[in-house]
Amino acid sequence: MKRQLFTTFERVTVKLSIVTVCLLALPFAITTPATAAGKLNIYNWGDYINPDVLTRFTKDTGIEVTLDTYGTNEEMLAKIQAGAAGYDIVFPSVHMRDIMQKTGLLYDAKVNTLKGFENIDPANKRSKVDPESSYCLPYAWGAVGVFYNKQEAGEIKTWDDFFALSDKGKKITVLDDLRETIGIALIKNGYSVNTGNSDELKEAEAWLLARKDKISAFSYDIVSLVQSGDIAAAHWYVGATLYTLEEPDKLGFVIPEEGATMYQEDICVLKDAPNKDSAIKFMEFYMQPEIAALNTLQQVNGTANMPARDLLPANLKENPNTNPPPEVIKKLQIFEDLGNNLRKYNRIWTKVRTAQ
Amino acid sequence: MALNSRTRSLLLLLSPASIFLGIFFLGPLIIMVIFSFLEPGLYGGVEWNFYHWNYGRILGWADGEWEEFDPVYAAIFLRSVRIAFINVIVTLLICYPTALWVNGLPSRWRTLVVFIITLPFFVSLVVRLFCWVLILRPSGFMNSILLGLGIISEPIDIIFTETAVLIGMAYVLLPFMFLPIYASVEKLDHSLVEASSDLGGGPIQTFFRITLPLTLPGVAAGAILVFIPSLGNFIVPDLLGGAKVLMIGNLVEQQFLSARNWPFGSALSVTIMLVMLTLIILYLRRLKRMEINQ
Repeated sequence: MKRQLFTTFERVTVKLSIVTVCLLALPFAITTPATAAGKLNIYNWGDYINPDVLTRFTKDTGIEVTLDTYGTNEEMLAKIQAGAAGYDIVFPSVHMRDIMQKTGLLYDAKVNTLKGFENIDPANKRSKVDPESSYCLPYAWGAVGVFYNKQEAGEIKTWDDFFALSDKGKKITVLDDLRETIGIALIKNGYSVNTGNSDELKEAEAWLLARKDKISAFSYDIVSLVQSGDIAAAHWYVGATLYTLEEPDKLGFVIPEEGATMYQEDICVLKDAPNKDSAIKFMEFYMQPEIAALNTLQQVNGTANMPARDLLPANLKENPNTNPPPEVIKKLQIFEDLGNNLRKYNRIWTKVRTAQ
Repeated sequence: MALNSRTRSLLLLLSPASIFLGIFFLGPLIIMVIFSFLEPGLYGGVEWNFYHWNYGRILGWADGEWEEFDPVYAAIFLRSVRIAFINVIVTLLICYPTALWVNGLPSRWRTLVVFIITLPFFVSLVVRLFCWVLILRPSGFMNSILLGLGIISEPIDIIFTETAVLIGMAYVLLPFMFLPIYASVEKLDHSLVEASSDLGGGPIQTFFRITLPLTLPGVAAGAILVFIPSLGNFIVPDLLGGAKVLMIGNLVEQQFLSARNWPFGSALSVTIMLVMLTLIILYLRRLKRMEINQ
């Protein structure tokens, strides 16, 4: 699950609205307008596509684009399940697209037969249920590491360095996301971030509980606080590179040596999409290397498009965070669908967050 | 059935509101109650099987398969009640004297003060709370001012603590305490206060025997208006408490989003609602008794 540059305001509004949607509006389908030909309705994370890409698409194809945004995979899933109509393409994380494919929400766009698919890195075909990428197009990916203020934190290389900061009276924050944060504990204890083994999870829980008082907050909204030095270091997304490139002497981002989690989102066409032709045209459009590069330039994360990587400027192409070397990639774990084991994680999460 | 014209016009006038409430209030409520007895769907939603664990879970019982006994949810419930209760006390202590003071002002000042107190409602809650993050953080406005004036030598570090949550909650809910108290203070018959002092009552005696009892309905109304949203609030603990102070509102939100357990979220909501209803019924009964006494 990733939330790139999503603002607090959007997110809380979104949280409020989704709880309301779940509680109240379940039987009432939410409808979005526009189903005529020559249109494309995109449902994406907030700030997760370069607006120039969409403008360019409209210029090239004449297809009009509308964009709605969501804040979490679960929110998007809940809306689509509740019958939200009118959307053509969505950008779920890999584990969520697996869930959506299993529950029959996706359309088989035969992506791997489309023009330009040869540009896609086979390493980015990460789906368990669709290993050949027939349903969805790998979009973008990135590591989740530590974003830090060099003046406050010094240099950070490992998760131990990160947690040690609080012993020096500095503030650290972790993501308010159960899988990401329990993920750190599992990685530090040498387990898979997708384990369902109760003993391994208990160990991770104890590890995290022992560090609870070192954690100042569970939060996404830390960028301004890291910039001001009020927070020395924060568990955050590689999108932080946007800020570290602006102030390289002051801000840093690192993928800790012990390993970390990574996210990847795919572009998927919905089964009920009213404009499937436009959706497929968009996928072909996005597989052009210069378009993927245009997007990556603004998103500062990893692209699945191999030739696009060579088109990027040196500060992104040679950046060990946005384009990590293979030995680092090997240490990155991606989330899979947990099924009912999610309940175990949820119990741990509630306990960690309630502990005094 | 013969309806006289008065009844008919009354029915006609009431029907839009009744239909609206029936569809948009009662309907979802019924869905929520039904959901709270169903099995959670694997990927959100519900399975249409009766499932009795949702309410037991609140007290800590576990289904034994995916979880073990742990009263963590009951602890969250108690903590929420405690924070909501403290918040009622804090807002009451601030608002009661203020209301008395405002009531003593010339009438055009009074209107202005009441207007100023309702002013924050025009700005989004999230924006206002984010301003509090900027105020309370170590390098924020509060510390800059106090350090600059030489009042403190080290920044006060209260962001992401329960204190910050209490400050935020009190800030958000002050108007809900102030307005009902002010309304009852304004209604207070001043000749009774004068009579009390004419009969030799000191200011303290007058306050406890005249002013306070007569304004108590306003205090009670304010207390309920503050207590209920405090209990359900999840934005303040998230933003100012760094999500470390998990409250019942956060828990409900979490069930619908990250945990994908709608029935448990519904069960929690139903429980909160029952607690609130009990409180309100107690209040109404008390009010009635007080009116009879008077």
